[in-house]
Amino acid sequence: MIATRTAAVRTRLTELRGTGLLRTLGLLALLIVTSSFWIFFSAFAMGFTSDFNLFFLLRSAAIAVTIGFAQMVVLSIGDMNLSVGAIGGATGMFAGWLMQVLGVPPALAVLLALALGTTLGFGNAALVVWTHLNSFIVTLATASLITGGMLILTQARPFSTLPDSFIAIAQVELFGMPVAPLVLITLAVAVLLGLVYRSTSLGREMLATGANRRAARMSGLSVGRVVLVAHGLSGLLAALAGAMSVAANNTASPGIGSDWVLSSFVAPAIGGTLLSGGLVSVSGTVLGGLLVATISSGLLLMNVSNFWLSVFLGAVLLLAVGLDRITRTVGGAAS
Amino acid sequence: MVATARRMSPVALGLLIVDLMGALLLTVITPSFTSTYNLFITGRDFSILLLVALAQMIVLAIGQMNLSIGAIGGLVAIVESGLMVNAGTPVVIALGFGLLLGTACGVANGLLIHWTKVNSFILTLGTSYVYAGINLGITHATPFYHIPDVVSAFGQARTGAFPHVAIVTIVLTIALAVFLRQAVLGRQLLAVGGNAVAAALSGLPVRRVIVTAHGISGFFGAVAGTLLMAQLGEGQPTIGVTWILPSFAGPIIGGAVLSGGSAPLLGTVFAMVLVSLISDGLILVNANPYWVQFLVGALILAGVLLGRIRAVGLRDVFRLKSTVPGVAEQK
Repeated sequence: MIATRTAAVRTRLTELRGTGLLRTLGLLALLIVTSSFWIFFSAFAMGFTSDFNLFFLLRSAAIAVTIGFAQMVVLSIGDMNLSVGAIGGATGMFAGWLMQVLGVPPALAVLLALALGTTLGFGNAALVVWTHLNSFIVTLATASLITGGMLILTQARPFSTLPDSFIAIAQVELFGMPVAPLVLITLAVAVLLGLVYRSTSLGREMLATGANRRAARMSGLSVGRVVLVAHGLSGLLAALAGAMSVAANNTASPGIGSDWVLSSFVAPAIGGTLLSGGLVSVSGTVLGGLLVATISSGLLLMNVSNFWLSVFLGAVLLLAVGLDRITRTVGGAAS
Repeated sequence: MVATARRMSPVALGLLIVDLMGALLLTVITPSFTSTYNLFITGRDFSILLLVALAQMIVLAIGQMNLSIGAIGGLVAIVESGLMVNAGTPVVIALGFGLLLGTACGVANGLLIHWTKVNSFILTLGTSYVYAGINLGITHATPFYHIPDVVSAFGQARTGAFPHVAIVTIVLTIALAVFLRQAVLGRQLLAVGGNAVAAALSGLPVRRVIVTAHGISGFFGAVAGTLLMAQLGEGQPTIGVTWILPSFAGPIIGGAVLSGGSAPLLGTVFAMVLVSLISDGLILVNANPYWVQFLVGALILAGVLLGRIRAVGLRDVFRLKSTVPGVAEQK
């Protein structure tokens, strides 16, 4: 019984990986699209390649990628997390409060904020595991609880007197290049996540859970533990993105995170992460976040109304999931 | 299906009792609760939000979601007010066009979901940004002021404490109830929600059902947007942006399941009464308005937890052994 179930998980994972060539092509296409936009904007958008613009572009890309990662890790187990923005906003406010009101050193404040984010993620996981409720409903409700709680506690007052050493992670140029320190943080996170999914048993367990949760459970996997880890990691990454946003905005404001729902899904979806679970692409999420930031920045410079950007992003998301669907069908792994 | 209908009624009954106790409590602790004006305002807000909740309930009934209800409501309100204010279009034509547009947006959602087989959550998340983007592209975030008096007067009209916009909601709610209970398509809708594969195999028109559910959802969202525009007296581009939470709160607290097959209309109505009582009560006792968001979130969790306890019994709810987290609702 267990043997056949294990085989079922393996088969499903192999099916998903069977789309490998297509997925490499997909990544390549994404790379070409992103490069084309860079060439296009360099030629037609005044100031696109200026140090000033590149600095902001890479910074917002780094934040978008981190938000995408926060969603990607729960997508990998076939769940979703609608409270990514709520956690990012609440932990950002928490960090701001610690630094401004309590005078906590930035490093410690960020650590505590990350701990809070992880705890909130664990809370989501506990509700999903104990109650068997769908992660959509659980995180819709907890998002409302977390944001509501944050607003009640802070009275929606921002914290804008933050230590320079904290702001620096988003505001200084590294080695005279237009790269803020937080870009390196995002890259480090990307490398770590890549390692987790490529070469650790935890990563494989998350993907197995996403590929077929029931079969994974039957083959002896502690699915509850995997769910706990994935949601905790999601909370941690959301908190990291929250801290980055606070540093980038110079202010811990209660609005942070309120518009993350779309961006959290866009980067992984464009990058080829399966929304139904079992397959992630870390490099795809990086490219997806970079593409979104590139288009936003370019359209802004070309004076295209910011509002049409919303239409554009929606269309990009629809296109990406449409392609995702085709890839799965062609790969013989449609479900 | 019959069993589902029978099982849902305790939820509605329970909610009704809670509603009555809540109303009694508010009457006792805040005299202004029963003032004509307060009842009018609360009733009017309730009338609009109930339509939003029903717009979600009808797609939940087929096991799908619509995240674009608010975006549709906002787009419709903007197009209608834009036509009336800037183009001088007669009221009837402008409103008719708006409602048609909203229905078309819903139908587009349904067709796209059917054709692409993409998860309705992601698909309507995508279209919601498209609809909202078009809205802001038209308005550049500036409202259309001074809509015709006929429309704004209707938004303010009342007989005693009874808001006239509630007439629209009552008629549409009854129509939806009759449709789900009596019409063949309505029955088919619940069948598809119960088990889409079985429904397709037994020859039910799955595409028509999906398109109908999403069309109704778009139409209800459009009516809600129109009524809110009439109430505000202007076409606000922000109409609908806060509707996601109430849209799910109503049906989920009312007893709907995400996997589909149930359309707890009465439960949704009483759940929205409870949400309205909570918002109104918090305002009347001068509480921090942010409590509304917090409490609605807590209420959703409590509602689904109770549903879960009803389904498996209290002892098994928190049992970890031999269970598969997160897939309980998948059949």
